[in-house]
Amino acid sequence: MAKQGNRSNAESRQARRAEARKAERSGGEAPAARVPAKPTSEPIPEPKFWFGFEVSWAKLVLARFVIFTVLAIDSVLQISHAPRYGAGGFNVAQVPGLDAIGPGRLGFEVGQLVCAYVFILVAFGVATRFLIPIGAAIYGWLYFGSQLDSYQHHYLVVLVLLIACFIPWQRPDGAEPATRIRTWGVRLLLVQLGILYVWAAISKMSPAWLDGRTITGQITGPLRSVIEDSVGFKTAARFALLTELVLAVVVWMRPAWFIALPVGLAFHVGILASGLEIGLFAYLMLAFYVFVIPDRALVWLATRAPLRGARWAIRAARISNPVAAASAVLLAVTLGVLLARFTRFESAFEIAIVLSVVPITLLIGSRLRGGTFVVPWLALAHVVAIALWLVLDRTTTTAIDYYRFWGGNARRLGEPAVAEAAYRRLTEIAPNEPNGHFQLGRILIDGPDEDAGLRELREAQRLEPRRARAWIAEAQWLARKGRTAEAIEKAQEAVLSEPTHPSARELLDTLSGKKSASPAAPARDDDGE
Amino acid sequence: MTTGIKALLSTWQGRFIAVFVLVQLLLPLHYYLARKDHHDERFAWRMFSPMRMARCATTVAIDDKPANLGGEFHEAWLEIASRGRFSVLEAMGARLCTKYPKSKVRLSIQCTYLDREPQTFGGYDMCTVPYL
Repeated sequence: MAKQGNRSNAESRQARRAEARKAERSGGEAPAARVPAKPTSEPIPEPKFWFGFEVSWAKLVLARFVIFTVLAIDSVLQISHAPRYGAGGFNVAQVPGLDAIGPGRLGFEVGQLVCAYVFILVAFGVATRFLIPIGAAIYGWLYFGSQLDSYQHHYLVVLVLLIACFIPWQRPDGAEPATRIRTWGVRLLLVQLGILYVWAAISKMSPAWLDGRTITGQITGPLRSVIEDSVGFKTAARFALLTELVLAVVVWMRPAWFIALPVGLAFHVGILASGLEIGLFAYLMLAFYVFVIPDRALVWLATRAPLRGARWAIRAARISNPVAAASAVLLAVTLGVLLARFTRFESAFEIAIVLSVVPITLLIGSRLRGGTFVVPWLALAHVVAIALWLVLDRTTTTAIDYYRFWGGNARRLGEPAVAEAAYRRLTEIAPNEPNGHFQLGRILIDGPDEDAGLRELREAQRLEPRRARAWIAEAQWLARKGRTAEAIEKAQEAVLSEPTHPSARELLDTLSGKKSASPAAPARDDDGE
Repeated sequence: MTTGIKALLSTWQGRFIAVFVLVQLLLPLHYYLARKDHHDERFAWRMFSPMRMARCATTVAIDDKPANLGGEFHEAWLEIASRGRFSVLEAMGARLCTKYPKSKVRLSIQCTYLDREPQTFGGYDMCTVPYL
């Protein structure tokens, strides 16, 4: 009897796999041949806790969009850390024995750009069954390959991506916002969050946390004064522990979601306000709370006129003519390459050219298998993915920091040629950033091209008239050349520009003969992480 | 209960779930029961724990002369070292032993904590005893 049950389960699984493969062949948000929505009347395999867990299609779509968009943004912002990787030829992997396969600077940068691209395509629902495992593999390599970015955040992302490989993110045939989607993956993700909370709470069960000492030393943001002026750190610390214990229980239990939602949101918004340097971790945690929003609220929202219209437009915008479809994808590919051309990340242009293969392959693959892709949707996803690189590049200092840190590392690790190349690129992409000119000037002035070095230092002096460092560098160079009168003149400029600078006054006094030479105070380099 | 577990383990999805949840429940336990380096809080979900506030001053001497680690390792590694992570410090020691063969690389860290007395680790030649 049990064997018979197992056999029928296996057959049912095979049938579902065949249907899923069929659906995947057609790909996209709304392909022609779709896997039929699993009717909720279908017998639920045991244990129901896992295999009977359902969420509305509206919730799954919103969660997919929010979580993967946050992951994509996080990936691009991580690029400023790329220069750490491989610096000085030193690496320690998360797992012993993997040191040699850890990413280098360029590998990390390319990996994050590709991850960001993949995550946006997934957010749009494009080929999720292929792209999520690819994204998970790349992210896993970046994470396990080095301990450099070993915050819990990165570990959680690895686990979430692994679980996400098993969540049916693509729209089943005929699914509407209210359609129930059976997914043990989402249940596992919520259980994972519960496990995270319970261990986080256990780690805080120590006198140093409970008496408020730890939290006092960690919180710096606006929340600090709020806590100081209200409950105090001791109470806040105990409340945080209690909150984590509550969330550990309620986050995966549907009947308790009405508690999990407000408590979890308030907790993670509070962490955002705490000033802790944890990147997008709090945003990612907030994104997971989409899963505990009541389904009926999301279904109601999804059936309002604007979203109903948008859904209709997406499904209607099909291009069945192969020439027109190819033209649309080629247009998107061209636009993507153009956008990448204006992105200042290293090799972004070349990566965009390579990634053009993705929409082309998906389209060709879909055609060969007899399916039809929602071409405009695929094209839009491709363009948005590369546009995200550009937008984040131009609205944050990620690319500037990348070259600044790269140059700084190389300079400190005794690689002046590498540092020069990084600073040259920095001055190209950010000509109004004084730091690049100053550092480049400092390097060049000690080499054969002194004039170029002087030009860079003078540009730095022009761009940061209230900082002494470029004047000091020029004065020191002049002094080494025996041009004392000119050196004194520059040292005076240094004092005038930044009277409080410790080295400026000392240098002037030394050059003027008022004081004997002493070791110069270290300059603020502004190129460290 | 046993029927539920049997049913769970009868499919590959169930086996995946079982392994995943077990690993996630037990891996952090490793930190409390078996990990020799309590500064290393990876895989244990110890966000903002008191141990995070530990600060360790690293001292390295090569043939009894103080070494400048800033010229040898990226500052991100030095930051991790300042949190006392043994695996990174041991790798640093090994690297210096390779770079300066036949030299004595003495590495030590002096750590201060919020919730315990300061401790010192190492202080011996890492080329002879490569572990803290």
